[in-house]
Amino acid sequence: MDFRFDIIVEYAPYFFQGLLATIGVSLVGIIFGLILGLFIGLGKMAHHPLVRLPFTWYINFFRGTPLVVQILLVHFGAMPLLLAEPNAIVSLAVSLSLNSAAYVAEIFRAGIQSIDKGQMEAARSLGMTHAQAMRYIILPQALKRMIPPFANEFIVLIKDSSLGMVIAAPEMMYWGKAAAGEYYRVWEPYLTVAFVYLVLTLSLSKLSHYLERKYSTQ
Amino acid sequence: MIDVRQLKKSFGSLQVLKGIDVHIREGEVVVVIGPSGSGKSTFLRCLNLLEDFDEGEIIIDGINLKAKGTNLNKVREEVGMVFQRFNLFPHMTVLNNITLAPMKVRQWPREKAEAKAMELLAKVGLQDKAHAYPDSLSGGQAQRVAIARALAMEPKIMLFDEPTSALDPEMVGEVLSVMKQLANEGMTMVVVTHEMGFAREVGDRVLFMDGGYIVEEGKPKELFDRPQHERTKAFLSKVL
Repeated sequence: MDFRFDIIVEYAPYFFQGLLATIGVSLVGIIFGLILGLFIGLGKMAHHPLVRLPFTWYINFFRGTPLVVQILLVHFGAMPLLLAEPNAIVSLAVSLSLNSAAYVAEIFRAGIQSIDKGQMEAARSLGMTHAQAMRYIILPQALKRMIPPFANEFIVLIKDSSLGMVIAAPEMMYWGKAAAGEYYRVWEPYLTVAFVYLVLTLSLSKLSHYLERKYSTQ
Repeated sequence: MIDVRQLKKSFGSLQVLKGIDVHIREGEVVVVIGPSGSGKSTFLRCLNLLEDFDEGEIIIDGINLKAKGTNLNKVREEVGMVFQRFNLFPHMTVLNNITLAPMKVRQWPREKAEAKAMELLAKVGLQDKAHAYPDSLSGGQAQRVAIARALAMEPKIMLFDEPTSALDPEMVGEVLSVMKQLANEGMTMVVVTHEMGFAREVGDRVLFMDGGYIVEEGKPKELFDRPQHERTKAFLSKVL
């Protein structure tokens, strides 16, 4: 079997564009997922069950339904209500943010609740407010424990951005499929795409190991 | 200094405090003893509202804890607490463990907080551990740091919740001697402990709790040598 590098070369500029789009939507998904997820995680830890309810169901919905379905609902259902001309990249970024927020919320909650409750008691007994205790005592310890699950979640997010293909968001996978469609070739485009995803996820995993080491030296 | 009236507290359907009345004067060292499950730790934790209570009232230094408008954080600034499991902050050095609350709560400048911390570390005999992390300390050292941390806020009252129960026997003495020194300096202290020697030697008054009540109280010598109540006698015969 011959391997046609010329296809890869020809599509290189498109793969590069797709790579930028993949990195872009992933970064947006990570950043907004973190912000929204922190908020939802805190909401889910509320004392009152009625306050907790919407946050619980947010997590139930976004963890319990397929991301593809969410992407289709966002792009063809929600976005047309908000934007005159829905943009597939925007829809994909929004879907990834909403979806990862559900997982991030659970990572936050588990991380915070994993800290011994004596830590909060000691902080409060010294006259610190709940917010001060969270900021100086609980979160610094909890964040350290959250690094590995966050890395896990964001690796999944990068790979899942390839589902943007179903709404023709021009990320990396979209161009892989385009190349495969034009030349009726499987190996060249898909291996190239797979390789680039691998580079992205391995980089993230290296970063996570670095952070873990950095914050565990104490 | 501390006024407790008809304090009641339940966990679910289990009533652990069934009406506690006690008055503690400034400078007094009150030792609370009793079998496990007697409610003594819960009682102590109610004094700075780490544990909420259902009925009755607690007045500390003139402030009613449950009154509307009471700033609990302000009360807690004046009431230091030492825990059975130390509860040092593991991500901070010993020095930062001690300076954090004075700097963030009392708004002291760093120099003042560190000077105070070093003075307290000298007092508990641990100046050389200022830059160590809690993980590297023995239990006795950790508890002495915890005492220094509470004292850094310059509290008017110190609460001790079984401060030596998690220690190896050979380390109990070093912690008790720090507590004894503190008592001699006139600190108002409430100590929940199983150390009967400490209760007898340092306590101004001993409360014996059982089943959610204060069954008997008195000067250590009287209570240990001539207990009046059957339950006190039974308890003391087991621990002495």
